[in-house]
Formats: sequence, C-alpha cells, structure tokens
Amino acid sequence: MGEVVLRLKDATYRHFLHAPSTFKPWNKIRGQGIFSANLELKKGSILGLVGPNGAGKTTLLRMMAGVLPLQNGSVHDSSQDSVASLSDTDLRDKVGHMPEQVRWQGKKTVRNALMEIGEMRGSNESRIDGLLKLVGLQSRVDSRLSELSQGMRQRLTLAAALLGSPSILLLDEPLNGLDPVASAAFVLLLRKLTEKGVSIVISSHQVEGLVEIIDRLALMHRGQILAEGTIDEVAKQLSLDKKTEVSGYGKAPDFGTYLDDEGAIKIEQFENNWRAVLEKSQVGLLQKLVAGGVDISSWIDRPPNVIEMLCAATGQSVEDVGLEVSSTSVIPLRTFRGEEE
Amino acid sequence: MSDFSRIMAFTKRFRDERIFSTRMYIMLPILLLFIPGMAWGFSDPDIVLPGGHQPENAMEVLFYASLGVVFGATMCAVLLSYDSVSRERASGVLELRLSQPMPRTHQAIAMILGSWQAILIPTWFLLFISVLLVRYRMGDWPSFTDMFVYFISTSLILLWYVLFTILASSYTREQGTAISFGVGLWFLFTFLWALVTTMVAYASGVSIGQENDAAWVMLEGGLDLLSPNGVYHHLLETRLPQIDRGIAAWQIWSMAFAWTVLPAWLFIRRMEKILP
Repeated sequence: MGEVVLRLKDATYRHFLHAPSTFKPWNKIRGQGIFSANLELKKGSILGLVGPNGAGKTTLLRMMAGVLPLQNGSVHDSSQDSVASLSDTDLRDKVGHMPEQVRWQGKKTVRNALMEIGEMRGSNESRIDGLLKLVGLQSRVDSRLSELSQGMRQRLTLAAALLGSPSILLLDEPLNGLDPVASAAFVLLLRKLTEKGVSIVISSHQVEGLVEIIDRLALMHRGQILAEGTIDEVAKQLSLDKKTEVSGYGKAPDFGTYLDDEGAIKIEQFENNWRAVLEKSQVGLLQKLVAGGVDISSWIDRPPNVIEMLCAATGQSVEDVGLEVSSTSVIPLRTFRGEEE
Repeated sequence: MSDFSRIMAFTKRFRDERIFSTRMYIMLPILLLFIPGMAWGFSDPDIVLPGGHQPENAMEVLFYASLGVVFGATMCAVLLSYDSVSRERASGVLELRLSQPMPRTHQAIAMILGSWQAILIPTWFLLFISVLLVRYRMGDWPSFTDMFVYFISTSLILLWYVLFTILASSYTREQGTAISFGVGLWFLFTFLWALVTTMVAYASGVSIGQENDAAWVMLEGGLDLLSPNGVYHHLLETRLPQIDRGIAAWQIWSMAFAWTVLPAWLFIRRMEKILP
C-alpha cells in the first residue's frame, strides 16, 4: 500500500441552480458542490468518505467516476506525468462505480441486465456469470428485475461496478438494504479485492461499521474535504485524544476526589450501575478508584470515533445538530436578488 | 469488441426490450388496422374517394394508405420511446451507464437506433403486407423506385418522431412530461398543422382551401416543409407525377435531411452533457 493510483487536484464541480428573473426565466447560477478537492487514492487501500447529508460525498464520487465533468482542477493516475490529466473515458475505464440505490425494474432478467452493462465494458459471458456468483445471485440469474428485493438489487449494482475488473471501485452507500450476513460477506469481499490491489472509496452513513473496513478516512462538509488520512492521523489533525470508558456497579463515585479536571467527564447513572467517559486518558486513575473501593466492571481506552471526529471537524455537536440538515443544501448560496454570495 | 459492434449490440438490446414489450403487444393490433387495413380499403377496385377520384395505380393507393403511418405508426413511435432516457434516469441505471467507458456519443446513437428499429421493423413488415394486399386487390405492383421511396420515407418519419420523443425524454425527469411532449407534438403535426396553415394563409391574404388556387397550393406546400408529416407526404408525392405543389425535390430532401440531422445532433449533444 502506498502507490498513488488516482489523484484529484483542486477538483471543483458546482451544481447549477435555477435563478429565474423577469428577463432571464431560465437563468442559472452555480450553487453547492465540491470546492477544490485534493485527494490521493492509494493502491489496495479503502478510503471512507464521511460527512453529513448534503456534504458532497455523492458528487465527489460522481466526479471520480467521470460521470460529472470537472469544472476546475484535474484527475491524474500513477502512470501519467503530473501535467496530463485523465480523460473522462480513460477515467471510466479504470473506475467501477456503484451508485446509491439503483432501482432495477422491468421484465429484463438479472443476467440480461448485467450483460447489457457488460457489453459497454467489453466483458464476456463467463465473467458475468462469475460476478453473479461472486455477489450471490447465481440462483436468480433468470429472475426478472422487478422480482428482486432491495438487497438483491444492491448486489446486482455491485456486480455491475465490478465489470471490467476496475482498479478503482467507488461505492456509494453500498451497505443499504443488505442483511447483516450479507454485509459481513460484503466486507470480506472488499478485503479480497484490496488484496488484489483494487483501491476502494466508500461513502456511507453507517459510520460505526465503516471504521472496521477502512484504512483511511476523509471527512467532508459543505463540499470540502476537511481532513484526510488514517484514523489516527485524522484524530491527530483534529487534536482528539483517546477516551476512557469506565463502568461500575452501584452508585457512580465522585470523580472530583480522584481527578483535577472534573469537567472532562460525562457520567451516566443507571439503576444498578454507572458509566463514565473521560475525555482524556488519566494516568493512575484506575489505581486510585480501586484503592477507593469503587466496584469497577469494565475499563476501556478507545480512540475517538468517527462521529466525534466529524463533530470536531465541522464544529458541530450531536446535541446541537439533532436531525437538522446543516449542509450546503439548505444554506443559501445566493441572496434573494439571485446573486451569489 | 469494436466500437461499431458495441453500438450494434447495445442497439439490439435496446430494440428487443421495446419490440417485445407489453406496449408493443397493445399497439400491434392498432398498427395492423391502420396500415394493412387502409391498404386493403384504398385498393378496393370500386372505391370512389371524395371528389369522385379513383386511385389509378399501386403507388397512389400506398400514398393514401400512408395515412395509417401518419396516424398510427408515429403515435406508436412516441409511445415506445418516451421513457428511453427518463426511466433509466429515474431508476439510477442511467448513472451506471454513464460511468461506463463506452463513449456517450455511442450510447446516444445506440439509443436512437434501438428505439427507431423497435417501431421500424413491425412497420416495415406491415408495409410489405400492404404491398402484397394492393397487388392482390388491384393486380398492380409498385415499381422498385416507388417501393424504395415509400419504405425510406416511412423510415424517416418514424425516426423524426423517435428523435423528438427521446430528446424530450432526456430533458425531463418525469416520464409523464416526456410523454406529454411527444403526444403534444404528434397532435400538433397530425391535427393542428392544417389550422396553422389556414391561419398563415389567412394572414397572407391567400384564399383558404381553394384547391385550384396556385397561391394556396404553394403556401400549403411550403408550410408542409416545416412539419415532419408534411415532408413525409412531399417525399411520397415525388413518386406521383400528377401532384405538383411547386416544391422541388431537392428542397424536400434537404428538409428531410434537416429534420433528421438537427434533432439527432441535439440529442447526442444532450447525452454528452446529461447529468444523472
């Protein structure tokens, strides 16, 4: 792992917004999108894209797949010098793209639907049969698309993304609709692919499950990549320390007697037990608690999780945000007069 | 696989999906009634058309029977192709297609050819049956050139309607809008064009509906060049020497070329830039 297989340099794509006026009823202006994204994709690694709704994850994946044209910046691969940019067709040749929620429908059979996409990539029948077996659809090859469940549709979309043996795989919410067993099998499949040198980018809202899969993490917000690296590197960039989770029986102890900085503790008291989260690892705390006769049931030092990283990167907290979508999709990028801010 | 064979393979899939669709099974009886049905009726040796006119030869019968193409086949072309792009776009399959290395221009060409062939093949088959019916009823074959012009002209009008419809389909996100555009356009050119002609004639001070008035005939002929149905009839009239509406053959073929190239170019350009 280490060789860069794809590099985005100042890649920009901004969606067009309708801004009609009296004399320009079809007028459009540039709105939200991706702003000067710089990203390196390493061979055989899995990069997780994480961000709130409307952060630009899907747009970025579409840019990397050659579906959306770059308005500024460039895409390069390892075989090219730093000046020449990849053409859209070359990019699409390298990349397998799994869009979010493809609603396969109609009388077409599973095999025919995949054959159709396969012909566009020059895949032969044996490859298509192999892929259907790989994604667990070998028993449904003659089923009509309209008879497939959501999970089966996801598998078919994954098979379509794997056509042509792409060296880069872009997966937009791939775990949606998959049952737990299928999700586990999916993770195994991704691992096998990375062992073969395939680089993978995953965008997912299921961030807790994502950590188990990814090698690197990119945090996105308002069309920008705020931090990128391994999970430890991102945590370091955001100055986040490991946390300590302590649980015990009975009544929670008064941590003030054991710690100097009580403000860095969150304590939850339950009926028969308690849990405390310490924002920073405290040297000697366990010894002090045991010596103080506190009945401790578990002690875990854990790295900051993705949600904490995202909150730290965006300056938001879960309590503040709640279910509100605080992304570019609701933040006005133009004034009431139709001018861009 | 070469680019050409890839386009052809994609075309075949696109065509077969439509030609064996439920829609086609519904429309086939309509086509059957309109195309061979009209050929059977107009080839009746005892038929007397309005004005006491009787068709004299096979090509003239086929010319009258072409109303079946104008009324039936063009509508079927619209109904077969209105969701060519919009359905795939709504389902997300279009995004999957756009992410493939096959150039978008090639994909667009295959879409046009597939949608066109889906209506062209049954129509040509029914036209061929019509020719046999005319031969059976009148004992007269159309010449090879007549047949060539008849089949090519019919192909062109179907292509024009397919192009208008898939172009609309590529711009709309809802299939209802695409079908409304296609049917609306069909209605305009099939039923309302006579009204447009009449209004222009009235505004120009030309006597309306006077068949022997040279100015009216010229104006109607000229305005017909702006309608695909009108160009279709102009093309067929090139094989009927008794009809002269003052429009030269080169003008008619030029307009046929324009009606073909312009929407095809617009659609290909649209597909190159389409967003999922």
